[in-house]
Amino acid sequence: MSNTTKKWFSLNLGSRKENASSSSCSCGKKEGDCHSADTSPQQKDGFDQVFDVPMDRRTAFKKLTASLLIGAGAVSTSCSLVSGNESKEKAQIDWEEQFKGNYKLMSEEEKKATVERLARSYELRTGKTINLSSQGPEENVLFGYAFNISKCQGYMDCVNACVEENNQDRNSQMQYIRIHEMKDGKGFNFNEADDNYYHEVPAEGHFYMGTQCFHCDNPPCTKVCPVQATWQEEDGLVVIDYDWCVGCRYCMAACPYDGRRFNWSQPEVPEAEINKNQHYLGNRLRKKGVMEKCTFCVQRSRAGKNPACVEACPTGARIFGNLLDPNSTIRWVLENKKVFRLKEDLGTEPKFWYFMD
Amino acid sequence: MFTVFISLVKDSLQAILHGSKKYHLWMAFLTFIMLIGMYCYTIQLEHGLSVTGMTDRVSWGLYISNFTFLVGVAAAAVILVMPTYVLKDIDFKQAVLIGEGLAVAALIMCLAFVVADMGGPSVLWHMLPGIGVFNFPDSMLTWDVIALNGYLFINISIPFYILFRHYQGKDALSKVYVPGALLSVLWAVGIHLVTAFLYQGLQARPFWNNALLGPRFLASAFAAGPALIILVLALIRYSSSFRIEDKTLKKIGIVVTVAAQINLIMLVSELFKEFYAPTHHSESAYYLFFGLHGKKALLPWIWTAISMNLIATLLLTFHKLRNNFKILYFACSLLFIAIWIEKGFGLIVPGFIPGPYGKIAEYTPTGIEIGVTLGIWALGAFVFTILAKTAIKIELGQLRYKKETVSKE
Amino acid sequence: MKNKHKILVNWVGYITVLSLLISCKHHEDEYHSITDKIEAKSKSFHATSTTSELHTKHLNTIKITEGEHTFLIPERTGEITSFACTECHSSPLKEMKGTASKKAHWNIKLQHADEHTMNCISCHNGDNMDQLQSITGTPINFNKSYQLCSQCHSKQFTDWKGGAHGKQVKSWAPPRTALTCVNCHNPHKPHFESKWPVRYNTQKIKERE
Repeated sequence: MSNTTKKWFSLNLGSRKENASSSSCSCGKKEGDCHSADTSPQQKDGFDQVFDVPMDRRTAFKKLTASLLIGAGAVSTSCSLVSGNESKEKAQIDWEEQFKGNYKLMSEEEKKATVERLARSYELRTGKTINLSSQGPEENVLFGYAFNISKCQGYMDCVNACVEENNQDRNSQMQYIRIHEMKDGKGFNFNEADDNYYHEVPAEGHFYMGTQCFHCDNPPCTKVCPVQATWQEEDGLVVIDYDWCVGCRYCMAACPYDGRRFNWSQPEVPEAEINKNQHYLGNRLRKKGVMEKCTFCVQRSRAGKNPACVEACPTGARIFGNLLDPNSTIRWVLENKKVFRLKEDLGTEPKFWYFMD
Repeated sequence: MFTVFISLVKDSLQAILHGSKKYHLWMAFLTFIMLIGMYCYTIQLEHGLSVTGMTDRVSWGLYISNFTFLVGVAAAAVILVMPTYVLKDIDFKQAVLIGEGLAVAALIMCLAFVVADMGGPSVLWHMLPGIGVFNFPDSMLTWDVIALNGYLFINISIPFYILFRHYQGKDALSKVYVPGALLSVLWAVGIHLVTAFLYQGLQARPFWNNALLGPRFLASAFAAGPALIILVLALIRYSSSFRIEDKTLKKIGIVVTVAAQINLIMLVSELFKEFYAPTHHSESAYYLFFGLHGKKALLPWIWTAISMNLIATLLLTFHKLRNNFKILYFACSLLFIAIWIEKGFGLIVPGFIPGPYGKIAEYTPTGIEIGVTLGIWALGAFVFTILAKTAIKIELGQLRYKKETVSKE
Repeated sequence: MKNKHKILVNWVGYITVLSLLISCKHHEDEYHSITDKIEAKSKSFHATSTTSELHTKHLNTIKITEGEHTFLIPERTGEITSFACTECHSSPLKEMKGTASKKAHWNIKLQHADEHTMNCISCHNGDNMDQLQSITGTPINFNKSYQLCSQCHSKQFTDWKGGAHGKQVKSWAPPRTALTCVNCHNPHKPHFESKWPVRYNTQKIKERE
């Protein structure tokens, strides 16, 4: 697992103005710098970035026993057994996070509490603040997506934007979106399609089709989860509580659309590249051994913004909106274009439609 | 009662710790393999499942393959339970304790394989009903958890009751254990069907989404399980004074034969469906049997399995051959290996190939994965040896409760 | 005999009730398909509190109404670097070529349709360079240049109005702000250039070997 080899090619051929101004280490321009940051010993995975608090065994033991004896709450406020307010606080956060419940079943207060704990833990460790949200679904909103096959040119700006927005592991090059390059005249032949091309696009005689999590209305993946760590929210988003997932990968086997990803090793994002605008169910830092997937950028979509892939697409092939709003563009597409979905015969009811001009 | 139990534990510890040189060598060997397995597992814990050959394309591999196969082995103990306890066929009485010991060992291995396959073993408490969130009845995995643990409980408690009585020199009361035995018969069919449903219920994987999967699981289990029991009984016959009649082995041999034949018929039915009118759902089967787009990692495995299966079934079918013990043992080993390949690798891996969008990524287990697997098998053998040694000593009357010794202490 | 009959009837009753309980999935949230669900749920639709305003307020937009669609498009004239055009274009092009005036966009080469179909004055108004003009000579404001495009590209125009062509800016929520034709297509060279993909996944190659 060496970090020295180049992990991906990130060309910056226009269309990403925001990036150019915001970051000096965008990996496209200064690869050397970026990867030396990768290999530095301080590099921590997502889980450690949240939880790894420097604490020797003795204090840890003290804290654990103290918490067990007189309750975690009392420790931080009154007990003078342990030294240092910060380490005391860190230990308590760790303790409470380890034994918290399933996010889906939490009350609003509990959700707020865990989000605050996670944000505070990050602050204690890095000295930097993240904006971690627990915003819930809004009534009268059901998210849907449409993909214009004739418009997609295979530039992969969406894939890039997704990785940067959602803090995916850079080492394994995890990507939620796959763009399949298909040959003209062969129909939608996924078997012969290439989802990992690297040549000038659009290639002569080819067309492009993107897949990701389709946020099925009848999702097979949530049904099979033994611990309800994944579920469908009221606004149609299929989400995962990373802290509740046990990593059995049953959902992965159940998904007919290759929509789910697993953290086979510790996910790593260089500190400078971390998107600090996060949602508990979305792009917050993950740990190894848990599932993750596209959430239609819940941290953005619930705030009213378009998902990163939609915003990044230079051709307008991606359309996102509220299916319940009769005036939305997505509704216009569904009602006026000849739309279809993949594997409709499975009865999964994806909320992701394809159409052509 | 409690003092009897304490004494049983002490006595069996005594029995376990003493034995011939061969026995000690065997146990040392198993311990060594287990240590290697544990070392491999710590590496996996530290680096994550990326040290295995599994990927996003093939997300279940060697662990789940072995798990699936061993559920079958565990279920097979029942094939001996039924005639012994329910039909009152005394012939099997000797074999059944061994069979149930085997079931316990197999179940422990099953659970170990599942835990080894988990991404987050430290949060497995989320799965405990009551403390965690148990997605019952929606998730077939929760059914499987109940089925496996229930079966484990039954298979520990029945033999324990019988041995406990025998240890005290009393006879086991049939009205106590027969209902339990009956339940275990149903339960055994249940665990295997439920495990098959785990795969069968996935519309995403046409290779598994197949009504014959459950019944075929049963047939192959009832061939592989008793085949293993025959081999183990043969070993015990040679290595201890525990008497196992020829009749018993022959009867189990018949069970193996019938199950192997049914298994073959079902195989033919499956092959016919996949290859007579192939749809794109047959691609996994094509991959398994003939390879797809030049990818053919499973070919040697599956053809070895099928030829072994055919030879074994043929050998078993003829009474003369089957009644020759050397041939019986040979056929049973062939069958056992054949079904291990078929119900393990041959079932789990092609389910993921080709992937949902037809992508073919092959799977090869890594050394660490194999190390953990061997370690778990050694654990199973270790557990079984301990159980069998104690049970045999009790059954032979070498281990008996002595009131005086306990009171003196 | 009578008793037996009674028991039978009772049983039939129980079973019917049971099967009714099991089979009738009259839960509120169950629909035959997602389209049914959308239809049923949007009947009672009322506007959400989420709006795009927060995300688009810094944009300089104008409101347009085309057919039944009303939405916002970016204001254009402010973005053109040397608007108004008449600041330079006060004399005919031929005369300007010789002068030492500011060389703004001499490099423009028209690659739109072919030379039989289009030239500069297909869109630009030779008499008033601050305006565009339709084929029939009707003046068109630079802000509403889409009216020019829609003369030929009527299908794209329909899709654009509905939202199937083009890009909705920043937010999915109403009110809608859509990019207009010239925000993505250079009117003098409207096709998209081919380029290299932004990303290449080297891990995936290993996986497939």
